[in-house]
Amino acid sequence: MNISGESLGTFLARQTVQAATPLVMAGLGELVAELTGVINIGIEGLMLMGCIAGYAAAGISGSGQMGLAAAILTAMGTAAIFAGVTIWAAADQIVAGAAVNILAVGASGLAWFFYQTTRQAAHQSVSLGPQVGFQSVALPWLSRVPFFGPVLFDQYMLFYAAVILALLVWLLVHHTRTGAILRALGDAPEACQAAGISVRTWRTAAVLFAGACAGAAGAYLSIMRTHAFASDMTGGQGFVVLSLVIFGRWTIPGLVAGCLLFGGINSLQQTLQTTRYTSHSTFMHALQHIPFEFFQMLPYVVALLALATLSRSSPGPRYLGQAWKQ
Amino acid sequence: MLVLENISKAFGPVQALNNISLAIAPGCVQGILGENGAGKTTLMNILFGLIRPDRGQIRLNGQVVAVRSPRVAQKIGIGMVHQHFKLAPALSVTENLALAVGRNFGLLHRAVFRQRITALANRLHWAVNPDSLVGDLNVGQQQRVEIIKALLGGGKILILDEPTAVLTPQEVDELIPAVRSLAEAGITVIFISHKLSEVTRLCDRIAVLRRGEMVFAGPTGELSSGEIAQRMLGTQSAVPTLGASSAAPGPIRLLLSRVCCPVPGRHGVKPLLDNIDLSVRAGEIVGIAGVEGNGQTSLMDAILGSLPIRSGVIMLNGRDLRHEAHFRRARQFACIPEDRQGQGLVLSLSLTANLMLRSYRNPEFSRFGLRRVQAWRAQAAELIRSFDIRCAGVDVPIQALSGGNQQKALIARELCGHPPVILAVNPTRGLDIGATAFVLQQLAAARRRGGAILLIHSDLDELLSLSDRVMVMYAGQLFPTHWPAVDRAVIGRMMMGVAPQAA
Amino acid sequence: MDSSVPPPVLNSPPSKARRYGAQRGVKVFLLWLSVALGAVALSVLLVLAILALAGYPALGILHRWIIGAAGNRFNCAASVADACPLLLTGLAAGVAFRSGVLNIGAQGQFLLGALAGVALTTRFILPGPPWLVMAVAIAAASVAGGLWAVLASVLERYRGVPIVLSTILLNFVALYLVRAALHGPLQAADTSAPQSPQLKVIYWLPILIRNTDFHLGIPLAFAVALALALVLGRTNFGFELLITGLNPRVANLVGVPVARRQLAIMFLSGCCAGLGGAVQVLGVTHFMLGNFGNYGYTGIAVALLGRLNPIGIAVAAVFFGMLDTGSRFVEESSLALPHQMANVVKGVIILAMLVASAWMMRRSRSPVPETSENPTSRDPQQVES
Repeated sequence: MNISGESLGTFLARQTVQAATPLVMAGLGELVAELTGVINIGIEGLMLMGCIAGYAAAGISGSGQMGLAAAILTAMGTAAIFAGVTIWAAADQIVAGAAVNILAVGASGLAWFFYQTTRQAAHQSVSLGPQVGFQSVALPWLSRVPFFGPVLFDQYMLFYAAVILALLVWLLVHHTRTGAILRALGDAPEACQAAGISVRTWRTAAVLFAGACAGAAGAYLSIMRTHAFASDMTGGQGFVVLSLVIFGRWTIPGLVAGCLLFGGINSLQQTLQTTRYTSHSTFMHALQHIPFEFFQMLPYVVALLALATLSRSSPGPRYLGQAWKQ
Repeated sequence: MLVLENISKAFGPVQALNNISLAIAPGCVQGILGENGAGKTTLMNILFGLIRPDRGQIRLNGQVVAVRSPRVAQKIGIGMVHQHFKLAPALSVTENLALAVGRNFGLLHRAVFRQRITALANRLHWAVNPDSLVGDLNVGQQQRVEIIKALLGGGKILILDEPTAVLTPQEVDELIPAVRSLAEAGITVIFISHKLSEVTRLCDRIAVLRRGEMVFAGPTGELSSGEIAQRMLGTQSAVPTLGASSAAPGPIRLLLSRVCCPVPGRHGVKPLLDNIDLSVRAGEIVGIAGVEGNGQTSLMDAILGSLPIRSGVIMLNGRDLRHEAHFRRARQFACIPEDRQGQGLVLSLSLTANLMLRSYRNPEFSRFGLRRVQAWRAQAAELIRSFDIRCAGVDVPIQALSGGNQQKALIARELCGHPPVILAVNPTRGLDIGATAFVLQQLAAARRRGGAILLIHSDLDELLSLSDRVMVMYAGQLFPTHWPAVDRAVIGRMMMGVAPQAA
Repeated sequence: MDSSVPPPVLNSPPSKARRYGAQRGVKVFLLWLSVALGAVALSVLLVLAILALAGYPALGILHRWIIGAAGNRFNCAASVADACPLLLTGLAAGVAFRSGVLNIGAQGQFLLGALAGVALTTRFILPGPPWLVMAVAIAAASVAGGLWAVLASVLERYRGVPIVLSTILLNFVALYLVRAALHGPLQAADTSAPQSPQLKVIYWLPILIRNTDFHLGIPLAFAVALALALVLGRTNFGFELLITGLNPRVANLVGVPVARRQLAIMFLSGCCAGLGGAVQVLGVTHFMLGNFGNYGYTGIAVALLGRLNPIGIAVAAVFFGMLDTGSRFVEESSLALPHQMANVVKGVIILAMLVASAWMMRRSRSPVPETSENPTSRDPQQVES
């Protein structure tokens, strides 16, 4: 990791934002789904599907945009299965989510295998060429602002998309009738039904939206921030998203704050891990004696401590996790 | 003119409605009377498009209308206030109304809605804050929001499904003129109830349903109250016969002295307990009247030990309960909780298991910690017989039973061991007349056996008919009354917070 | 028939036991069996169809899969050995879910159990005969898993952190704790990877059938399943756990010590998972890696497939074990297909089962009652005593 040319603070802030971006993206979708009363613990699997679909489609088509589109569509397709099982067949959401996770591990593994073998058989490179994946986009003029420039205005496209999406979702949830419907779906579906609003259709739409968000977040991991795929590349980030939504008490500012906190601690621990051997400060030397696994553990411990020390969490949407039977 | 013609509906083998016809004129308040299960709600659900009838049709102003969904019903001007409100507690009044009657999916025009709500509320002389969360409103206010919701979409016909079941007497007194003023404005009101007095006070015409059949329809004055009750109930007697209270109550079983509970944290909305003095003797029923939310729940929780008290003493049979573990304490009371399904029964378990929830520890029913399944089943069969619980067998899940039979099972479980102290909260809520009579008789019988009964009940008439002594709970305080030496109205005023001296 | 287990009923306030599919009765069982077999056939066909479309010999793969799963004595034993950790994590999820406690943390509890097991047989060996060392290691592993689960219960009770959430987070904490230990005090001498040294052969669980993988842990796991079936279904204690899980407010009212029972549910659940970890280390792998499988998460699926009933879970675990063993056989064969395809089968089976059981429930739906009740039970996070 090269941090020359930037101050440590800028570097950390930039890393934080980069780590938080996929979490915010996937979190927005999950938040909307949970507001309508559907909890999808398969978000990890949806992200993984996005990772592999984005990577393979980008590799085959040679276009990052195609990869992103494929990631979004694949994750939406998987989310559609989840929606069919939980919303239309009224099956248990937790169990269906767990099934989606298992399915995604299998499907992505199989797809990765097929991708590798077909590419090798055609004597083509398995890895993405440098021109295929996304590069970060520096906004003209703004990116030269000190500190904020590199942190906020020289990021991957999906970062800008996530910021805009967060604003849009916030506007939608709190200032439109659609938002009132979304919140009512999880709070009192019977009120929606009485108003002639189809609970199942709306919930399905919310779950598909969550799928699209998770797919985009997955693509961010495999074709933007890195240009690689690994079978465990989501590494539990879907579960992290799930807890951050609850951590943020089902509010968008809360979610974003949680993602930044988590991303911050994560990039801090990564930086500490890499710099403690090269730095000359005694503090850094002292850190060398701490196994790096404890740094990796840090975000989860902080999340737990935050949940335990902040006042009791709000119970969330009343019908969260409950199927609606017409 | 709204006309229902030959409406029939069956659920499986049960004929819920049989050939019902009814014509309702605009601006008329039409009462629909009937016991629970008589078909009132089914009929209204058909009119509102929630259920399709098997046969029959609905005409509005001469035209046949197919009410396929609530949306269609609203479009043709039918609004319904359900017994269980269809409101989202986490949303504001404005948002709830926008949800129900809004058409667009764009930005919420809060100002427009606020104005419309306030205008309508003023017409009915109601104060409604459009920006408060529905969950923060009390039941009466929520009902007003529901009525406004039904009218805001341009409703000409308003169905009120058991609107008074959830209200205090004072709120009922406020609702009735509001309904009259709606009728004067040309709105047809269909008022469903099983309380005779309210219907005769309010309605222009009444229709009486019994077991899915229309047994009477006509102007209110045509039949006397006694005749209406006769038709509603068939041959069943309306007034339960209760055993007389024992002449001399025994020793004090339950004693609360200067019990105070702090207001927890920032949720300081609910009044808790303020210097409660209370005693219940063997062989007497002490009734606690009061509008809900004045600390009755806290009182129960304090006695059972799930709410820690700050000061004061709670004694059971002369023993201080304060330092006993919560679960040991709970084992010493029989308790008929208010929320039968949430706190009294495990709905997914069998009737047998629910009947054994108190006694499974007895050596009679377990050996070395192993359950004696045969003894369980024998005991369950015995209770089903002696408490007349109607069920398809001891292994059916309790949720398959009707509300009345669920309550019978709960009472069988709690009272079968002849407990010395019984706590009961709203034990007849939601029950029909037959089941209500059964419950009241069981409590009276328990008193005859020397049980000390603390009865917290929101139905003032039943409470007064059963209690030996009556106290009123208001804002966390408990006031003694001189019942039966004082008038019912005095107790009603005390429930509203008028100081006992002034009352 | 056992009176305490919920029979199938619908159209009433949602209850957790029903949500997780706990039902009984011979007819229901036969229906479930046919549905399960149908789901299995469907998912296997689906995967084979995909492989056929990709140009692989579907029938050949199926043949090898079956041979690999149960073709001979050795493969059968391997399947059961593969099932063993799944059975125990499945029991962990089953015990908790059956009581309405959403313990997603079997993964972490499994890992800590494995860690305790490996620690007490490599670095911190107590003086004594090997059987005693192994017994202590296994017991300590169960307790470690149990305590890790109880931590989540405590966090919920005293700090209001929902168990679903804390167990997920604790899984990650456990993962890195284990890796730290395997990098630190428990690291093997000859490697830089997070890896423990190998157990001495005397501390391996004895093989009961010669030349196979059938180790002592397998009958142990099945005995645990049997014991749990007995405790949950036939004792007052099991009855109290059930009430506490299904409706803590009722349990409170009738004088069940709810707090203790809630801890007991989590402790029992965690014990099963921890035991699974130790049995896997002592019986199969004989050393521990930083990446020690996903048995905890798969256990949730096993529990569902077994309808939260200990005996059903045993059947489901054996089936999953066969899927895994068979797919590894395919991977090692000339076809070299990745063994992850077993996960596709598992995922599709669960989803198909969910849909089918929803369909079964709809068939037994009762007529609409006159007065509909509002749902009284809420999401698990609100369940507090």
